[in-house]
Amino acid sequence: MAEATAPKPSSSVKLVLLGEAAVGKSSLVLRFVNNDFQENKEPTIGAAFLTQKCNLPTRTIKFEIWDTAGQERFASLAPMYYRNAQSALVVYDLTKPTSLIKAKHWVAELQRQASPGIVIALVGNKLDLTNESSGSGNALGEDSETDAAEGENDDGDARKVSTAEAKTYAEEEGLLFFETSAKNGTNVTEVFTAIANAIPETSLKGARGPGATQSSANRTEDQSRVNLTGPRDSASKEGCAC
Amino acid sequence: MFNFSSLVQKAQSFIDPTQALNISPSDRNPAKSTLFRHQFRLPDSQTPLQEITAEITISPPVAYSPNATQGEKDKDRDRGYHYEGKLHLSEAYLCFSTQPTSFLQSASTSTSSGFTGQTHGGGPGGNGFTLPLCAIRRVERLHSQQYQFALAITTWNGLTNSPTNDAAKTPAPQQKITIQLAGTRQACERFCDGLKKGLKGGVGDVGKLKKVVAECYSEYLLQPGETKKDGKKDSVPPDAGLGMIFRYPGDHKKLRDRSKMRLWGEYLRDYGRNVTLIRQPTFHKLIRVGLPNRLRGEIWEQTSGSLFLRLENPMLFADTLAKYEGRDSLAIDEIEKDLNRSLPEYPGFQSEEGIGRLRRVLTAYSWTNEEVGYCQAMNIVVAALLIYMSESQAFFLLSTLCDRLLPGYYSTTMYGTLLDQKVFESLVEKTMPILWDHLVKSDVQLSVVSLPWFLSLYINSMPLVFAFRVLDVFFLEGPKVLFQVGLAILRINGEELLDAADDGAFISVLKSYFSKLDESAHPKSENAKLRAVTRFQELMVVAFKEFSGITQNSITEQRMKHKNSVLNGIESFAKRTSIRNLGPDSKRLSVDDLGSLYDRFYGVLYERQQRSQIIMEETERRDRARRAKAAEVVTGLSENQVVEKGRVGLGPSPTLMDYDGFREFLAGMARWAITDSPSPPGKDNTSESEKHSYFGNSVRRREVSLSPWGPGNPEPADHEFMQRLFRRWDVDMNSALTLQNVVTGLAHIKGKGDIMGSITYFFELYDDDGDGKVDREGILRISEALLFLSRRGLEGSLTPSSSMTGLSEYEADNPNPYQPEGMQGNTNERFLSSVSAFIRRCFEYADPDHPQNKVTEVEESASDGLADPDSFGIGDDSDEEEDLLDLGDSAPVRGKKPTGIPSIPAASDKSDIRNRSVSKAHAEAANAALDPSKPLHITLPTFRMVVLADELLEQFFESSFPASFRISDKMVAAASSSASSLTTFSNIGFGRSTPQPSVGGTSSAGLVPPGKGLRGVLDNIVTDGMRVAAEVRRRMDEAQKELEQNAVHRPDDDEDDEEGYDEPRTPGGNAGRTVRSEDRDLLEGADAEAMSLRGQDGVSEVKQQDSLTPTAGRSRSASVVSSKVIEFER
Ligand SMILES: Nc1nc2c(ncn2[C@@H]2O[C@H](COP(=O)(O)OP(=O)(O)O)[C@@H](O)[C@H]2O)c(=O)[nH]1
Ligand SMILES: [Mg+2]
Repeated sequence: MAEATAPKPSSSVKLVLLGEAAVGKSSLVLRFVNNDFQENKEPTIGAAFLTQKCNLPTRTIKFEIWDTAGQERFASLAPMYYRNAQSALVVYDLTKPTSLIKAKHWVAELQRQASPGIVIALVGNKLDLTNESSGSGNALGEDSETDAAEGENDDGDARKVSTAEAKTYAEEEGLLFFETSAKNGTNVTEVFTAIANAIPETSLKGARGPGATQSSANRTEDQSRVNLTGPRDSASKEGCAC
Repeated sequence: MFNFSSLVQKAQSFIDPTQALNISPSDRNPAKSTLFRHQFRLPDSQTPLQEITAEITISPPVAYSPNATQGEKDKDRDRGYHYEGKLHLSEAYLCFSTQPTSFLQSASTSTSSGFTGQTHGGGPGGNGFTLPLCAIRRVERLHSQQYQFALAITTWNGLTNSPTNDAAKTPAPQQKITIQLAGTRQACERFCDGLKKGLKGGVGDVGKLKKVVAECYSEYLLQPGETKKDGKKDSVPPDAGLGMIFRYPGDHKKLRDRSKMRLWGEYLRDYGRNVTLIRQPTFHKLIRVGLPNRLRGEIWEQTSGSLFLRLENPMLFADTLAKYEGRDSLAIDEIEKDLNRSLPEYPGFQSEEGIGRLRRVLTAYSWTNEEVGYCQAMNIVVAALLIYMSESQAFFLLSTLCDRLLPGYYSTTMYGTLLDQKVFESLVEKTMPILWDHLVKSDVQLSVVSLPWFLSLYINSMPLVFAFRVLDVFFLEGPKVLFQVGLAILRINGEELLDAADDGAFISVLKSYFSKLDESAHPKSENAKLRAVTRFQELMVVAFKEFSGITQNSITEQRMKHKNSVLNGIESFAKRTSIRNLGPDSKRLSVDDLGSLYDRFYGVLYERQQRSQIIMEETERRDRARRAKAAEVVTGLSENQVVEKGRVGLGPSPTLMDYDGFREFLAGMARWAITDSPSPPGKDNTSESEKHSYFGNSVRRREVSLSPWGPGNPEPADHEFMQRLFRRWDVDMNSALTLQNVVTGLAHIKGKGDIMGSITYFFELYDDDGDGKVDREGILRISEALLFLSRRGLEGSLTPSSSMTGLSEYEADNPNPYQPEGMQGNTNERFLSSVSAFIRRCFEYADPDHPQNKVTEVEESASDGLADPDSFGIGDDSDEEEDLLDLGDSAPVRGKKPTGIPSIPAASDKSDIRNRSVSKAHAEAANAALDPSKPLHITLPTFRMVVLADELLEQFFESSFPASFRISDKMVAAASSSASSLTTFSNIGFGRSTPQPSVGGTSSAGLVPPGKGLRGVLDNIVTDGMRVAAEVRRRMDEAQKELEQNAVHRPDDDEDDEEGYDEPRTPGGNAGRTVRSEDRDLLEGADAEAMSLRGQDGVSEVKQQDSLTPTAGRSRSASVVSSKVIEFER
């Protein structure tokens, strides 16, 4: 893996996850950070904080992830978390149309209130609940474009938000767009890698050599987060090491 | 942006500078009684009734000796502890503290201005007690040399022990407190009287007291005598939390739990337990070193005051659970999701037992406070409490937390959380400027790190044992403790934090610090003693020594300072969210308009809630004042609950607007929605700017006028049109509008600027059954509405730049010497004519309900009507009636001669006669005969045609009606001076609201005498419907003929007629205008009042106009109209 390569410039990027409760924000983060999927045991007060590195060919991005809490009333706190975020993952559940409305709200909110250059990715999660994802880990693309289900499909397809609809919206608003499954890992790493690639060089905090200013405690934490084992089911082209 | 919150704020501080404190039910209005309650941790039911300087003597515990001599008693007093301080009496409590209380003695209980901020009700400081009167067993009056009044109080200390102990070897020690009052004889006597009264009242509560006390571990601990060798006792100990089953967290050897327990045992034995506990200097010290496990819950209860809540209603927890058994709620769903992630590391919460307790406490609380319901983090806090206390105890303590100690933390907007984060940040900036600068530079937002500390009381941040130590102090000293500890954490880690450059680094520094709290703070020190100091001890020292300057006072000050910006932030967030969620209809309105609508909508709801609350409280207060005669009665018990409820930022606020709210809402936007006949104004004079008075009601809460609209606000009209609009907008049919309803409603009116849409909309408003037809009654109602909407002049037609330019130009070019009132007046008056023409035309072109029988019906109705005119007793008045009906005929002069004066009285006379001379049934039959077997109606195309036949009406629908909703404008200044803003219409007599016999009973139009006003006229028209019908049919036939003629013989005349249609803009043709002028007289003449004002003018005007337009005739106008029929039916 990319760990072996010579030290590359590293910079931290603050990322905030927003979206309706239960769309799978925490699950996405857990998948990204620990390559794991389980019921969330961690009690979240306000927002959970996690970090994960993403190695790009030319640099290392350390994501500082704020996973905002699920309860509706915590939405008032959201501005605190996105205030100086450089990137955001706005998540909806593609089996629940109202969650896309909520997601659009968050997009509008970020575009208006967050830092100007913020990179936003719109993510439709729970792709595994749709038919087209049955082959595990197939990246979103041509086949899912043949888009199903405005209405009920009796063959177990729970999709309620068509790819085309969300994609059109994302294009209009200039957002990255993915459909993912935190459950089987489809497209999860891709989302983060795409964000990492989309962060303009200029908006990165003064690039540092690895660990240059990090306290020992910090490093300990990073290590514990980073040592990921097990095969990743998706081969990301950009070569994100995480 | 129109920001109502800051206005309220400004207005409030104008009246009462301390109003700005309003933060929560507990923090707002720091009136003396509030501070008093906070100081002694009393329930909200308590108010300070009496206070007096006193010296108390705590006797060392001795066996009760009723026969002791006076000398012995004096000796007792000498031997005990003496404290000087203030003794307070409330309804059910006797409280004493040596600490100067935080309020001026001179302050009245209700004014909030009279306090000095010493402790800000920070909690039970100083030495003293908070003694429920029901816990006093006996009071003796002592004779004392030094004091005029000395009282010996014996308490029910150890209440539960005494009865079971009949064979007692050692009876429970009597607790005695001696109190010497220092004050004038009168003051002392008054105090004693009050006390006596309170004691009598308290007798009934002894039963409750027993029950409450029985759940206190101290009672078990102090049970005399029977402790067995192994430390076990016979009886079952009360529930002291899950710790009794699953062990308490931490190593109890390391915690030195046993010696703490011994010390507390002694303390409680000597100075009273639970309700009878007396705070001695050692009390605070014992708490600072950490409470012993089994007493922790009880002391928390005692110091936080939740014990007194429990005493007030011991069964509340169980009763609530029973009451809501089996019911579901959103809160319960949310609770259920979190049960498994609340302190999962503690064994008790891996068991059904612990989970069950947690579920019950959270659920019961969510029912008792549905506004808060359940907020994540409460699960963690309650889980922690449950380790040390019973479910019921935790339930009341949670209540105290939410209502007092953590105001607004868990509310649906979490404003308290955000506010305290702001406060915390500003304290950091103040006390640690270097660190603060570093945070700012490295773009680390402190509050995202510190928020969980506050929200879950450090429980999730520190190892449990230490978090509980913080809680020990927190319950005693109040919220400031959270700040002190937070600051100390940052101070201690200052250097490392200065190295941290991002959120991640910052968080991990603190994480690692928290994980090492049990390690030595000075591991390398030579000094063994110093080496033994743990990091946690260091933290406590730094928190309470270095940051001793952080007081409840400074917190309150900071909260006041930041409150507005925090609330505004939340509110603008809520507003953005809400506007974005308004759906596709809202796109028809501009963003600014939506913003203003939002403000207006919630502004009205907020105000109405304030007002109703104030009125309610004022009524209550007056009732109370009436009932109670004694001088000691407290005035103004209301101060605790008033103000700011309903503000969006504070939590659940009303979201539904009822009809009255809707009226008020409209009155804020549209001039026509303001009543012309306001109820007599209150004594309040709104001298301030309109802005202030718009929200003035929330300010003037002392001199409540009990006006339902608030002083200074324009009183809304109540017109059938408004009711129809309300029903139309109320798509959910629940007699209430949401913001969404209002936006959708307005979007349809204002959104398109399309005249056809506007006309259709109006038509549909009156097409009650949606069958595409509006009947006779509907036509009349439409005309009423048109007059109602225009009576203050027409929007957009008042300025030359508006859509009326064409007309204005015309008038400018052709100054009309006969209309001296100026152009605006003219426009408005001409609108009146337009409306009357409208009625006429509607009837002319109305369809019978069975169109295929049209011709015969017309004949029938004509003959029917004429067949027996006398049966209605109106035959005699036919002349006047003729005038009324003969619109624009060659006969007008006759009608105008008296300008209709006689016609009105005549009309009412007539109906009187009819009512007298004809039986009711007969009269009804007669009315039915109006639309006998052939009711008539107009259809939408007819309605369109009629509207478009008249330029003013056309413009009304095209622009002035939509424009009359001034969403974004500041409300017209004229609003409040409604009477003066009426245009000439009012002078003509149409300014009055019109009676609405059939719709609603709320009309303010009772002022209009029957027979006067438009409705009277219209009623007359209806009454004489047969003749109307005949006339209408006749004209329709003629029109029809003409139409046919036109179609056949004058195909080229269409263009001419086009011109006629555009008439007012074309100097050449004035026939249409003339017709309208004459029509005006129809309406004008109908009102006696109008006559008295303009009678003579009217006469001359009529003559002049008559001579001016000799050729004006019905047939001409009919042809004009009929040609239009063709046009619109194409
Ligand atoms: N089938 C499926 N379920 C998911 C997926 N992601 C999350 N979930 C489930 O959705 C629920 C909510 O997930 P969570 O991560 O807590 O959502 P959050 O509230 O947005 O953080 C949990 O029951 C997850 O197991 C997914 O990709 N597929
Ligand atoms: Mg989550």
